[in-house]
Amino acid sequence: MNRSDWMQTLSRLITRCRKQATVLGSIAIGSLLINAVSAQTVAAPDAIRIGMSAPFTGPSRNLGSELYLGATAYFESVNNAGGVNGRRIELIAYDDQYQPDRASQNTLRLLHQDHVFALFSYVGTPTTSRVLPLLEKFKNEHVYLFFPFTGAQPLRNPPYDHVTVNLRASYREETAGLVNHLLDTGHRRIAVFYQADAYGRDGWAGIRDALENKNSKMVGEATYKRNSHFTDSFDTQVAILERSTPDAIICIASYAAAAGFIRDARRAKFTGPIANVSFAGLSSVIELLQQAGKEDGRDYTAGLITSTVVPPFDDDRIPAVHEYRELMQRRSHAMLDAPLAADYKRFALGSVSLEGFLNAKLLVAILKQLGKDPKRADIPTALSGLSGLDLGIDVPLSFHDSNQGQHAVYYDTYQNGVTPITDWTRWRQ
Amino acid sequence: MFRGASFGIYALFGIIAVATSALCVHTVDKQLTSEYEENGTQIAAVIASSSEDVLLNRDLSTLQALIDQYMTIRAIKYVYLVDEKGEMLVHTFVPEVPSAIRHSDMTRTLTVRRNLAGIGAVMEVGAPILGGLAGSVHLGMDSSMVGLKIKAAVGQQIYLISIIFILSIALSALLLRRAARPLQDLEQCIVNLRKAPSPEQAESTNQLATLASRRDEIGALARAAWALVHKSNGSDERSPSEQG
Repeated sequence: MNRSDWMQTLSRLITRCRKQATVLGSIAIGSLLINAVSAQTVAAPDAIRIGMSAPFTGPSRNLGSELYLGATAYFESVNNAGGVNGRRIELIAYDDQYQPDRASQNTLRLLHQDHVFALFSYVGTPTTSRVLPLLEKFKNEHVYLFFPFTGAQPLRNPPYDHVTVNLRASYREETAGLVNHLLDTGHRRIAVFYQADAYGRDGWAGIRDALENKNSKMVGEATYKRNSHFTDSFDTQVAILERSTPDAIICIASYAAAAGFIRDARRAKFTGPIANVSFAGLSSVIELLQQAGKEDGRDYTAGLITSTVVPPFDDDRIPAVHEYRELMQRRSHAMLDAPLAADYKRFALGSVSLEGFLNAKLLVAILKQLGKDPKRADIPTALSGLSGLDLGIDVPLSFHDSNQGQHAVYYDTYQNGVTPITDWTRWRQ
Repeated sequence: MFRGASFGIYALFGIIAVATSALCVHTVDKQLTSEYEENGTQIAAVIASSSEDVLLNRDLSTLQALIDQYMTIRAIKYVYLVDEKGEMLVHTFVPEVPSAIRHSDMTRTLTVRRNLAGIGAVMEVGAPILGGLAGSVHLGMDSSMVGLKIKAAVGQQIYLISIIFILSIALSALLLRRAARPLQDLEQCIVNLRKAPSPEQAESTNQLATLASRRDEIGALARAAWALVHKSNGSDERSPSEQG
């Protein structure tokens, strides 16, 4: 028996063992199939190695952690069922603390040391913006960044639209939706609170353009520093925006800053709607506001609107959501949690983990298209072969016209739980 | 007289020290400010040229990411880019664009000194993008850094001058003391010689004779004193050295 035959026999044996383990409902073996942060630098021959850089510590850690948990719930189920074309998925995740330089270093490490097949579910605009030129450098090796957790334009426009593949709607689409709904409900004086970086400016530009399309202008704007904490005071920003007497505020912020701003705005008696985009992660915002509300003896969760790019995570009638809920409950927690901070308290369910789950589902679909011996160069063909695919959210995907699979935007609020907004009349001025 | 002369010398040293320091401050300030302005303008020109393509073909998010990278340079307090109409495209201000900047003519790229609340003293330099057709880049350079360099340079200068000043005072005091001592002796001799005859007077006569033997101004004064004293006594007016 030569080396190749031996490897194939071993691979078949592993696959058979894995199938048996699945039948027996063994979760432990399944969880061993995904290595979170591995010291290994060479992928096992029967594995497809995927790399991720996201915040797992710092004030934006919920985003990276939830996205990872949702993705690994799906990868685990795929691995338990025998993998993709007989190959298991290894997800290597590194913490970038939502810092562009760290994201860049992590990418080099993933590509040079870990030799990942593709990059997956990076979090944030400033971080991915810094990584894009790196991907251009690896253009000849056909390195792709799949489904970053950002709706920023640089990932959708030339020259980097050929190295990134997006699933979610853009911030332009989210902000345009928010502006239109707010204007339709009689809010004429819209102010903006945004992060002083590429993410904030992208959202700011989206709001400006959407308002200009309706012959309107933003009445005020205030910025904050990236990686601000919930405990920081946002009184200055509230005071700046109050000068322009807005009747609605849109935040282009991370969840900690968004929650801190909402708390301080409500304390300053601002009663109008405060809207956030998907990056804020409504579950994380609500968690922080409820904590502050308990301490202050008041409710900070009223009057919030959030645009999201995934359907309601608790709507069991949606097939993909049903699957997500089931797998999130079934998933094991052992090795999967390696990149997560020790004191991290996960959410049972949420729109961020649902997005991670859908990202993983689409990646698996692409890998299946690539066949037994996946090659990066075949990715564009595989993508075009997926047009019309529905991940189970009743939205057919298309990569024909752009590198963005879908354009659906949903809106949530909080009323004794995260609730989809289906009727906007209650928001009327 | 000597006290007055000493004070004059010390005052002169003081004036020299202050004048040298002032000149040093002026020179260092001028040189560093001009160097700082030049560096700032060069950085602004680099941003302007690198943002041309981004501005024309890309989005504001990319432009923002571009200018954010310059904020790691310690001397840069803020960066902003405006279009050809002076409308703000991207900036790095937190929590808002200062009103002094908002209300200024942002299309101009002249160097401006500003004192902004929450930011401090800055020297704002600018550079046009595509000759001003596509807007301009503006950079706020931290003026306190020039101040710190001036303080360091002047501090060293003042330290050196202070040491020279103290040494000079000590040396001049020593020299004045040496010059004043024979005069004080001469004065004492004259006072003693005018008193009634005593052992002290004899000693003063000898001392005056010694002083009169000197070939300098003290010697001339001693000889004159000898003549005056002995003239009033009716004895030989010539001092022993003259006699012999």
